[in-house]
Amino acid sequence: MRFTFTEEQNRFRQEVRDFFQDELKAGTFVTKSGGLAEGSSQEFSQKMAQRGWIGMTWPKQYGGQGRTYVDKLILNEEVFRVQAPVAYHFLADRQIGPSIIHFGSEWQKEYFLPRFIRADDNMKFCLLFSEPNAGSDLVNVATSATKDGDAYIIRGQKVWTSGGHQAEYGWLLARTCFDPKVPRHESCSQFILNLRLPGVTVRPIINMAGRHTFNEVFFDDVRVEKRFMVGPENDAFKQIMAQMDYERSGIERLMQNYPMYEKLMEYVKRMDKKKVGEGFYSWVRDSIAQLEIEFHIGRLLVYYTAWTIDQGRRPSKEAALAKAYCNQYEQRLNDLATRILGPSSLLREGTPWAAFDGELAECYLWSPSYTLQGGSVEVLKNIVAQRGLNMPRK
Amino acid sequence: MDFSLSEETKMLKSNAEKFMKEKSPSSFVKNILKEEKGFSATIWKEMADLGWLGLVYGDQYGGSGGDFFDLFILFEEMGKAGLPSPFFCSAVFAGLLINEAGDEQVKKEYLPGIIEGKKIMTVGLRNDRGLYDYPDPALEAQEVREGSYRIQGTRLLVPYAHVADGIVVCAKLMKSPPVSGPCLFITKSKGPAIRLTPLRTITGEKDFAVTYADFPARPQDILGMPGKGTTYVEKILPKLIALKCGEMVGGLSKVVDMTVDYVKQRVQFGKPLGALQVVQHYCADMTTLLDTARLIAYQAGSLISAGLPCEKEVAMAKAWCSDAYKRSTQIAHQLHGGIGFTEEHDLHRYYKHAKVSELDFGDSRYQRQKVAEAMGF
Repeated sequence: MRFTFTEEQNRFRQEVRDFFQDELKAGTFVTKSGGLAEGSSQEFSQKMAQRGWIGMTWPKQYGGQGRTYVDKLILNEEVFRVQAPVAYHFLADRQIGPSIIHFGSEWQKEYFLPRFIRADDNMKFCLLFSEPNAGSDLVNVATSATKDGDAYIIRGQKVWTSGGHQAEYGWLLARTCFDPKVPRHESCSQFILNLRLPGVTVRPIINMAGRHTFNEVFFDDVRVEKRFMVGPENDAFKQIMAQMDYERSGIERLMQNYPMYEKLMEYVKRMDKKKVGEGFYSWVRDSIAQLEIEFHIGRLLVYYTAWTIDQGRRPSKEAALAKAYCNQYEQRLNDLATRILGPSSLLREGTPWAAFDGELAECYLWSPSYTLQGGSVEVLKNIVAQRGLNMPRK
Repeated sequence: MDFSLSEETKMLKSNAEKFMKEKSPSSFVKNILKEEKGFSATIWKEMADLGWLGLVYGDQYGGSGGDFFDLFILFEEMGKAGLPSPFFCSAVFAGLLINEAGDEQVKKEYLPGIIEGKKIMTVGLRNDRGLYDYPDPALEAQEVREGSYRIQGTRLLVPYAHVADGIVVCAKLMKSPPVSGPCLFITKSKGPAIRLTPLRTITGEKDFAVTYADFPARPQDILGMPGKGTTYVEKILPKLIALKCGEMVGGLSKVVDMTVDYVKQRVQFGKPLGALQVVQHYCADMTTLLDTARLIAYQAGSLISAGLPCEKEVAMAKAWCSDAYKRSTQIAHQLHGGIGFTEEHDLHRYYKHAKVSELDFGDSRYQRQKVAEAMGF
């Protein structure tokens, strides 16, 4: 049992931190909460690629470095501390690459993995899972992929596609078996879909924070070559279950709003006890300490999950539990911050008098999405109960 | 970051688990609570023979000079079983104070007996509200001659005082010239100037009020340097709190196990309760409380063991474990329904233990103040 980092890990953290500090000083990016949603820069990703910081945990035979998930977590903790613009490669690094390594064909590995690791052109991915009638009930997808010679014809619609307007590729879940007697979770396949193919339409959805990150994606008889199918036909849910464990295990679920956390701490430190009143201050002090404990525990959960992966175990329960916990923490952070700062914290960016130039208002508006995306808290609790505690499904 | 237990610690943990299961089933615990002594002398001796009481003490006193983290793990296992014994008050609280404050002669006088389980020591550091008052004790020691005192006042919630060979107390020194801090004394537990009043506690564990009326304390009864009482207690406090957290995590894990087992086999509406989503979510919440409490408690235990500064981490652990354990017992009662509310069922022992532990060494509100202080607020 050791709750400290090795010398080597501390050195690595420092190296990452120095790099980001230099980039910040050079004005390459600015630190703002929610950076993952909007900060996409291929140039920046390439700088990280040159340092070997993409595909760190992947096997050496595919150009990765075979490093541990704890090491990768150290990198990501520093990424989110400053909200570095990593969106160009983040999804490929987190789950597309690992999925290809686990389930992809040799051709897919040879084609995509080196390009991910270098952050080459046209390598930004999005996820094409959710549909209007398949949210939490993902096995209900209706988008169809019908075999046609050595290709599949895709028809249907996806929704809540983050970054779909910037991505070149989508990781697509579609129905490939239409026999009603076959269980739904054995009827779907996964494809790597080039969004530039004819028949693909991407339409923006503006979210309640007034931002465009979501999209609807329509497929109108899109022809995809068979070599872009991942693994065997109708194998999608086996793959997705594993993929999701990685999607859920990261520190981005705890630190999407990290700048807000830091600013809040700074604000409270400078608070004039007398001016705000003893009663209010003592509530602030108590709430801030609780928040600090919750953050600290979230961090332990995420490191524990990474360590579990490093032990060769699949972190189904750990990742689901950590994500559910961390998402709720982030909501409490933003809510608490507005109550400590008061009404001016709800003014939007660019308004004089807006606290933190509207960053908090924006964070608060994003908050409802945290406990929904990547598996709602309810779905995650089902996983903890059913897979972690072996509770009966019916 | 390495969350694995060493081979030796794993061994100790599984031995302790087996020991508790065999020697201390719940029917047994309920019976010993009814006895006058309040603990099992046989099990006590066996624990001493296993070397558990001396885990963290030097070998010159009969201890094994082991790792604090092992003691922490032992407390987790004892918390699971809910075994009543003077382990904490004698071999931890009083023992560590003597080890910290005592000179060689005092240590030689007390520690070997404590470690062998032959001497039972306890502590009287709580005022009449049951709060630790060692920084400014209500207990007073009036100097009558150079180094000789008369102790006055009442200590509450003194565990196992009726079987104790001695009580460590902290008293304000009334003398001139005045001494700035309080002073630790080791007093007898019987005699004309001491009155013990048994207390009816919610757990049924044996706690007493100890009233000193002109109790004569000789110079050799002073433990450590006069005026340093607070310092000694504060020095060992993180260890005490971490062990409490370990014990709470043990209790919490037992509560989760009990409840998940129960809802899997209890059939209502034609299916196991555990097949209902609302019940599953309660169980997921309990597991989250357990996993988080375990991580933060292990962190405290491990940092102390490594000799690293961890004031904030210990306070965070106590704050979180207090709330998590209590909340889990509340959920557990909700899921057990009526059966959990009976004396016959075991659940109430944990419900009670969770509340008593919450208020011991300060609840989450108190500990959050410590966290805020450590953060510079």
